[in-house]
Formats: sequence, structure tokens, C-alpha cells
Amino acid sequence: MIQFLNYAVPGVPFGCVFALMAVGLVLTYKASGVFNLAFGAQAFVSALAYVSLIQDGWPRWAAGVIAVLVIGPVVGVLLDRLLFRRIRTASPLVKLVPSLGLLVALPQAALMIAGAAPTIPPPAIVGNAQAVYVHLGSIPLSGLELSISASTVIVVLGLVVLFRFTPVGLEMRAVVESPRMTELAGVNSGRVSAFAWILSSVMAALAGVLLAPLYSQLDPQNFTVLLVWGVAGAVIGRFASLPLAFVGGLGLGVAQEVIAGYLPAGVIANGLRPSLPFVVLLVFLPFVRQRQIEDPLAGCDPPPTALEGTATGYRAASTLTATAGRVSAVGVWHGRLARTGPDRAPGLLARRPTATLAWAVAIIAGVSAVTWIPPDWLLTMTQGIAFAVIFLSLTLLTGMTGQISLCQASFAGLGGFMAGQLANNFGLPVGLGMVAGGLLAALLGVVVAVPTLHLAGLPLALATLAFALLADNVLFPNSWIGNGAGGVTVPRPSAGPVSFAAPKPFFLLSVVVLAISAGVVKLVADGTMGRYLAAIRGSELASSAVGIDVYRLRILVFALSAALAGVGGALYGTLEGSLSPDDFNYQISAVLLVVVAIVGLGSIAGAVVSGVVYATLQQAVTTLPGRFAGLVAVLFGLATLSYTRHPEGFLDYLGARTQQVVARRRSRTPAGGRGGSPPVDAAVAGLAGAATSGGSAPVGDGT
Amino acid sequence: MTVPGPQLLVASGITKRFGGVLALDSVSLDVAAGESVGIVGPNGAGKTTLFNCLLGLEVPDAGSVTFGGRRIDRMPVWRRSRLGIGRTFQRMELFEGMTVADHLLVAEQATSGTVRIWRDFLHRGGPTPGELHHVEEVLDLLGLADLAARPVDTLDLGHARLVELGRAMMGAPRLLMLDEPSSGLDTEDTGRLVGILNETRRSTGVAVILVEHDLSLVGAAVDRLYVLNFGKVLAAGPVDEVMGDPEVRRAYLGSTG
Repeated sequence: MIQFLNYAVPGVPFGCVFALMAVGLVLTYKASGVFNLAFGAQAFVSALAYVSLIQDGWPRWAAGVIAVLVIGPVVGVLLDRLLFRRIRTASPLVKLVPSLGLLVALPQAALMIAGAAPTIPPPAIVGNAQAVYVHLGSIPLSGLELSISASTVIVVLGLVVLFRFTPVGLEMRAVVESPRMTELAGVNSGRVSAFAWILSSVMAALAGVLLAPLYSQLDPQNFTVLLVWGVAGAVIGRFASLPLAFVGGLGLGVAQEVIAGYLPAGVIANGLRPSLPFVVLLVFLPFVRQRQIEDPLAGCDPPPTALEGTATGYRAASTLTATAGRVSAVGVWHGRLARTGPDRAPGLLARRPTATLAWAVAIIAGVSAVTWIPPDWLLTMTQGIAFAVIFLSLTLLTGMTGQISLCQASFAGLGGFMAGQLANNFGLPVGLGMVAGGLLAALLGVVVAVPTLHLAGLPLALATLAFALLADNVLFPNSWIGNGAGGVTVPRPSAGPVSFAAPKPFFLLSVVVLAISAGVVKLVADGTMGRYLAAIRGSELASSAVGIDVYRLRILVFALSAALAGVGGALYGTLEGSLSPDDFNYQISAVLLVVVAIVGLGSIAGAVVSGVVYATLQQAVTTLPGRFAGLVAVLFGLATLSYTRHPEGFLDYLGARTQQVVARRRSRTPAGGRGGSPPVDAAVAGLAGAATSGGSAPVGDGT
Repeated sequence: MTVPGPQLLVASGITKRFGGVLALDSVSLDVAAGESVGIVGPNGAGKTTLFNCLLGLEVPDAGSVTFGGRRIDRMPVWRRSRLGIGRTFQRMELFEGMTVADHLLVAEQATSGTVRIWRDFLHRGGPTPGELHHVEEVLDLLGLADLAARPVDTLDLGHARLVELGRAMMGAPRLLMLDEPSSGLDTEDTGRLVGILNETRRSTGVAVILVEHDLSLVGAAVDRLYVLNFGKVLAAGPVDEVMGDPEVRRAYLGSTG
């Protein structure tokens, strides 16, 4: 028993912090419908402010008060007003992307404002963090443990008082229960939700300030990693119950220390601890009522008003793919039929005006690359192509299927590491190693897909996020995979006498790899599988009712997407010559999704442009002073603001605008009215054409 | 109306609990090949649960379901569909963004189960002429030919219901299960639906299970009627006979006026 306590007590401060995070997450989720993944970033911002102020000579208590009670709420209110309030009823992807963007962007923005990370080790608010003050039996309690536990008790008491005895607390409980009903009862739920944001932001700030002394140096990573524990706590609370979320967070904190204590040190303990959130998510997510996740604002749903309600209102808010659906209406991912009739969905273009432009740009860029572009920029372009292959994996998985994955970088990393390992240890040619890396990544994709088959939308995103962390902590440190901090060298490929070591041949090789990857995505999109995937995205229920084996297809798509990511990662690896686990950690996964969502998930062009823009921006930033190292993350974080207005992505938005302009110009010129030509002939002709011509059917408009 | 053929679907002793609620209490039901059977009952009687148990969306706690002589109660939904059970949904479940013709084509290909996805990678994943022919046939039958290329999001409810019906009819099913197909439709649309349904039955000999509130539709489209109440079969038999049953009138008709 004493031994158990010896292990458990050090877990309590962690548990308290996890519990604060879990409660804060549930609070904003229920009150505003957004699962705020930027929570960890908010914690970091306050911790940074706290330590910076102390370094500037402020007393510790004053710095703490400013960081927790001023900076925290201000950030929270700004996020609510500028961003999250506007996306309350958007699709899961649209809700997720901004908070992911902020998760990465906020810490970088704060560091840029602060100038540099503080150099002093973060002190505790009161007392000495490391000094032992009391003994509980034989267990020593340090100042840090005492202060964290005491602060948490105070917060919990405050919450109890607030919810039990104050009017605003009562209103908040009501809003958490059912925002719609509360609004009907005359409560301004916007005001209440703003209050919830303030409250949860204070908790984020407090968690950050309390936690800071645990680390010798402030690093955003430490804080965002903790977020996943908070997420696991929130899932234990079923996204709904504050007390359960609190108990869940506390329990996880204790459990991770106990696991680490009892199990022999080494791989098992080191592996089990970080994998705990993933396991918890997999075990508890199925217990969360799907409705609650999809639409937390649906405490009392109005009865479905037949199609109108199903097609636009409730479903638009609840299907994970409302956006992707719209994207598809604009774009590529339909059977050939969709493009043949003249009477199309609004904005659906038979031939996008941007497609020709994109081809022209691509050809000019390609020719320039092998003629006059200086070598370092050629390198950047090649990086862009490698990233484009990875982005294509998201186009396939998220754009076409609507499944949100936050572990694509893990797949890419595995592909890259394996290509290198096979070349170094077994002398396998790197070209084959890339293929093998892709296959192994596909295998990992199946490993991820099978336990998450029943998940969609936000739960799937969270489970894959937890898996990415698991990969970072358990897979990549192994010497035979990522080799930890040492990384893995990946030689350049050669084919017989032809070596791809020089920049130009390698660029051409990359273009070929990209073309093959794009071809695969295109074939899937245009074929039967694309049609099935569109059906599954529309309604999983109806898809299985017409005989589609939904689970098998999901596994297949996950594997295919992982393979693409793996090949892209291997390509990036041979380009750079070596890979380290940090090149493909969970944050990169988040950044990848944010970037391609902003540029456009609906087309192959979107992936290519994403790759080139991402690589170019990163290269451009290296020419700026070191202070602006995080500028790319900040830029994409800011771009999420416009993303919430144009969730179809920048490229498709551009295409639609161009189309509008063209249409307006055309309508001015007198022309024969576009009377109702019989669409069925065109449709059936299109069907027949597709059937008979088989391989030679027009490939369509993707670029 | 039709001469009952051999037993097609036989459900016996279906029992389903949700926590403490006994949603279905040993319900038995059978449908002969080509027969049309209605299931009616007040709200909460267990109609939808029974429907879901037959289709595989719920796993019954006890009881068995056979289709064409085969046990199907452990089969996944998609496998039952490939055996020849088509269904529609009370709350529309269309493939948002896809065209009318694509809906039918997907159903035709998926139901047959003969599509090989790897053919996509050889760019040979297109539909076969036979599949396209079936799509055209059903489009004509439903009178949807003019709307074939329209995305379903732009259809009105009446046509959307027809698309659901058409999707369920692809792949020549032996049994159509319709979940309140008239909900939200006006009398004219309902009349058209009954016409199409009866026409389909005459031409293909498909059996039908109809869960319905609209008694005029039930009367016009159904040979036999099951009345459910509190998870039990209250009465079963030819429509006129069941409607005349005083107990049924009290439990069902009385409660709805």
C-alpha cells in the first residue's frame, strides 16, 4: 500500500493539471460546440507570460495573477469572438482546422511577441518547487506538488460554488445541458458561452502556470503534448460531464505514474505511459453518444422536417463531411455522370478555368526548374513535391472520404525511416526501399484503421492524434525505426548507371513519383471506388444498405492513404539525406492537415499547390531573423480565419470566383437562352461513353 | 392480390431490450415471395426496432431471421443487401452531392457485389453496359429520367423519396423494405408512390414490407397487415379483417383518431 502511494502521490499534480484541462475542454465544448484543441497552446501562452514577467523582475504572485487572470481570459475572449463563435454549427473538419492551426500558431506567435523564450528556469508561484515541505507518512511532498494540489482544490471549490449558488452558474449548467432550450427560455446563450470561454481559458492559464516549474525550460511541445491527456479526460467525461472529466483527468495522472512505477523500466514502461491516452480514447470513445459528438448543441433537437431538415440543416451541421461534400460538389470526386449534365449543382464546373492555368504554371515551373532555377531553390521545389505526395494522402483520405486523420506525418515518418533502414542495414536499393516504406506505412494504416472503424469526425481525429503521439513516443525512438534523436540517414537512389544524387535528376525523379501518386488518386476518384467513397461520405447507413462493405473500403482507403504518405516521407528522406523523428512528429500532422485544408482538399492541384507553398514559405522564413522562425505556423494560423468563411479551400474559392466573373461577362453578351436541354440524354450518353470507352474515357478536370 | 409463393422472410421470436425497456417481445413475422405486408402500430410500438432487427442495424437479443431459407440474423447489413433486400429510410439517407443516376448506379454495382475495386487502378472501373441498362430502366419506371443528372440536393421531397425507392430497387431485390415512404409527402405524391410500387410488384414480383402511418397507402399497397403494440403483435391478417378487429381499433386507430 505504501509502495502504491509512493507511486500514486507524485501522479496527483499531473492528474490535477490533466483534470483542469479536461474540465476546461468539456466546458467550452458543451457551451460553444467547439472542441478547443488550442487549449494546450493557451496554457503555454500564459506560462510564457508568467516566466517572462518574472524574468523582467516582477514579483512571482503578480506575474501569476497577470498571466492567469488577465492574459488567459483575454486570449480566450479573443478566440471566442474572432473565430469559434462563427463556426458553432459548422462541420467537424471546419471546427477542427482552426483550433489545430492555433495549437501550433499561438505558441509561435507568443514567442515572436516575447522576442525569445525566457532563459531562467520557471519558478513556482509560491514556495520552492523542489523543496520538500511535509511528509505524508513516508511520502515527501514538494512545494510544486502542494501548490498544484492546493490550487486545484481552490478551483474545484470555486466551480462548485459557481455552479450551485450563482445565477450565471445555473445558466451555464442549463446551456451545457441544452443551449437551444436555454435560448428559448430567454437566456442569452452567447453571453453565457463567452463566460464559459473566460472560465475555461483561466483554467488553461492556471494549468500552464502551475505546470511550468516542472520543466527546466519552457517549450511549447511540453504543453501541447499534455493536451492529449486532457482530451482523454474529456472523453472519459463523455464530452459532457464536468465531474467525470475531472475524475478522469485526475485518474489518468495517477495511473500513468503508477504504471511507470510498477512496470520494469525500459521499453514497456516508456511505451505504456504515452500510449495510455490512445488506449483510453479507443476504449471510451464508443461510449460517447454519437449525436453528442456530432452536434453538442443538439440538447433538444427539433423534429426532422423531412428532406429540408435532413439535407441542409441538421445533417449539414452533423455529417462529418458537410464541407467535403460541398468541396466535392464543386470539384472532382464524382463519377463521370456528375460532369455530363448541363444542369449541375451550383458552382460545379465541368472544366475549371483554373485547371488550365494550373497546368500552365506546373509546366513553366518544371521547365524552369531544370533550366535556370538556382540549386537551393530547386531543392525547395523538390521538397515541395515530396510534401505534395504527402498532401495527396490527405486529399484521398480527408478530401474524398471525409475521414479526418491527424497521424499522416507518422505514416510519412515510418515510410522514410524504413527506406533508410532497409538501405543501410540490408543494402536494399533506396528506390525499392521507398516502395517498401510505402507498404509498411500501409500496414500501419491498417493498424490504425481497424480499431477506429466505428469512429468518424471529431472522435476519429482525436484517436488519430493520440496515435500520432504514440508513434512519436513508442515507435520512432526505437533504433530500428526512427533511431530517436540520432535519426536515420537515407541515401539518394540510383537506378543502375543512372544516379539521382544530383539535384536535377532527383527533381525529375520526384516529379515522376508525384505523377504516379496523383495518377493513383485520380484513378480512385474517377473509378467505382470513388463513387462508393462519395456514397459513404453521403450516408454510411445507406451505403451499407445498398451492399457496400463500408469497413473494408475504409481500411483500404486508410492503407492507400498511408502508403502515399509513406512514399512521400521516403522521398523527403532521400532528398534531405537524413530524417529525425522531429521531422514527422504529431505537430507536423496537424500542420499538414491545416495547410491542405486551407489551400484545398478537393483536388489534386490543391495538394500540389499546398506542397510548393509550404516548402517555399519555410525556405523564405530562413532568410528572416531567427525571431521569426515560427512565422509559417503563425501565417497558417491566421489563414484559418479566412478558412472558416471558405471551407472549400482557397483554390476552389478562386475557381468559383473566376467562374462567376466569366459568367457575368457572358451574360452581358447576347446569346441564345440556355433553355432546358434534356439533361437525361447527356447523362445517359455520358454513362454509355464511360462504359464503352473504358480506358479512354476523358479523365476530366483534375490537374 | 398476388398468389402467395414460398416463404421468403421468416422472423420468429424476435426479442429486443433497451435497458429496462422491452422494445420487442417475441415478435414473429413472415413474408411470402411476392407478397406485400404492412406493419402498423402507434408510436413506440416497436416498428422501427423490428425493421432494424430484420435489416441488421440492431442485433436481437433472441429469435431468428431467415431469408430464402438462410439464417441472416448475424449477417452484416451489406451482406443482407447483396442477398436481395433493398430498403428505404424514413429520414432521407441520400448520398449528398451525388446525382440521381449515380445513386442508382452505385446501388446497382454494390448490390451485385461483382465489382472488383482493383480494376480502378487499371482505369477499367467504369460501369458495364448491363448496369447502365438497369439504371435507365429504373429511371424510366420511376419517371426520373429527366432528372438523371441532377444532384439529389436540388430535388424536392417527392422526387427524393423516389430516388430512395429506386436505389432500393437496384440489383433486382427479392424484398423491398420501406420505412414510412409517405412521410412528408402530399396526397398526390403518395398516390404516385403507390402506383409505382404496385407496378413494380406486378412486373418484378418483388415482396414488400411497408412500415407506414398513412392508412390509405397501407390499404392500397398491402395484402396483409401486422399490428404492433407495446412490442407485441396485436393482430395479423388480411387488411380488412385486421382493421375491423375491435382491439386494434382501440389500441391504434382510437389513439390516432
